[in-house]
Amino acid sequence: MEGWGIIIIKIVFIWTWTLLIATLMTWIERRGAGLIQDRLGPNRAGPFGIFQPLADGIKLFTKEDIVPEKAHKILFALGPILFALPAFSAYAVVPFGDKIVLGGKEIILQVADVSVGFLYIVAIGSMSVYGIVLGGWGSNNKYSILGGLRSTAQLISYEVPWGLALLAAVLLYGTFSLRDMAFAQQGVFLGFLPNWGIFKQPLGFILFMVAAYAEANRVPFDLPEAESEIVAGYHTEYGSMRLGLYLFGEYVNIYTLSALIVTLYFGAWNLPYVDMSKFLGPVAYGLASFLVFFLKVAFFLWLFVWVRWTVPRFRYDQVMGLGWKSLIPLALINLFITALFVQFTA
Amino acid sequence: MMSGFETIVMYLGMSLFVILAMLGISAMLGPFRPKPRKRTTYECGVPLIHPGQKRYEIKYYLVAVLFLVFDLETVLIYPLAVRYRALAHYGWGIFFEVFIFVAVLLAGLIYAIKKRAIEWD
Repeated sequence: MEGWGIIIIKIVFIWTWTLLIATLMTWIERRGAGLIQDRLGPNRAGPFGIFQPLADGIKLFTKEDIVPEKAHKILFALGPILFALPAFSAYAVVPFGDKIVLGGKEIILQVADVSVGFLYIVAIGSMSVYGIVLGGWGSNNKYSILGGLRSTAQLISYEVPWGLALLAAVLLYGTFSLRDMAFAQQGVFLGFLPNWGIFKQPLGFILFMVAAYAEANRVPFDLPEAESEIVAGYHTEYGSMRLGLYLFGEYVNIYTLSALIVTLYFGAWNLPYVDMSKFLGPVAYGLASFLVFFLKVAFFLWLFVWVRWTVPRFRYDQVMGLGWKSLIPLALINLFITALFVQFTA
Repeated sequence: MMSGFETIVMYLGMSLFVILAMLGISAMLGPFRPKPRKRTTYECGVPLIHPGQKRYEIKYYLVAVLFLVFDLETVLIYPLAVRYRALAHYGWGIFFEVFIFVAVLLAGLIYAIKKRAIEWD
């Protein structure tokens, strides 16, 4: 077992890393928008505008913290905290690489490899709805309340297909530990395909992906903050760092969801057909597994940006109809197929 | 001996600490010049007609009830799913148990859709 020193270093490292990537994502999103819409995007602060997130951060820190007179003081203050806390903490059980050996000590590249890591993700993922609802209600603003109500119905509706898609993955791998799931995806499947979850769970992957976009409040499911209808939804009244926590928490959520997609369906740190641990030294292997994992996550981060600037927003009844009439029946059918598959391969 | 849960608690503690620090620094760095006009509720610049927290007709309230049922059922299948591969060695019994469970769930969902529980009007 690892000592406290290593655990604290790991916590600080991965915590800072997720927030750094989330910060960079705000820049990538705006540059990506520029790329897709054939314009420049932010390009003043530093080369290619790379210091834009820093400038935004300084601006948010030095803004006046306005609390509306009519707002419920406690709930208004509690909203952003309750939203950001689960968002920032969800990565604790997701791996970010295999393991690295330093000075004879084996360090696994994951903060906490608990046996029920999966349940932790599901539990803490559904906590963020409280932040949105309480913030929206506490603002005492019509737009905020409408945004809060929309997001309640949407988040709980898409949690069911999300949970059912995860259930099929648990059924396939037979474990709740995300690290064991990554190990289960080594080698080849049917003799020529990489042994990744996507080839055994194609339907589950699509369901998980769609539900993940809805859970992260991203386009085409960004109805809680649809700017053309309800101004900014639940964070209309928020300013300064309280708003910053809402915006920032969303990007951290995107990073965690991308890492989950990679861990469950895209072989985590495993490369297809190549076993890196055979010909790389222990330190190089650790770094390589971290890099491979991160490159896969980076693709899905880019996909979030890509979809945002490509797809139009749904109408509200379309969102609910898609969730209940398509995704949940499909998720239940996917569960059947997976059970059959496991039955035949057991 | 650490089971890993202490680490998660530390992680949560760090998140809470940084969030509170961010809010605290922001409160210290920002100016504080409250004015009555500044603190009014935002409504596109016009005077407030009635308070925001009035009674709303909540569409889709049945969805919340359905969510409770379906989420509970999902949670009930989790322990079964994690042991499924081991139990599948004993034959098809476990498959039919899952089949009946999920089929009842699916029938309930179809019933709810037919009863127009998730329609706008």
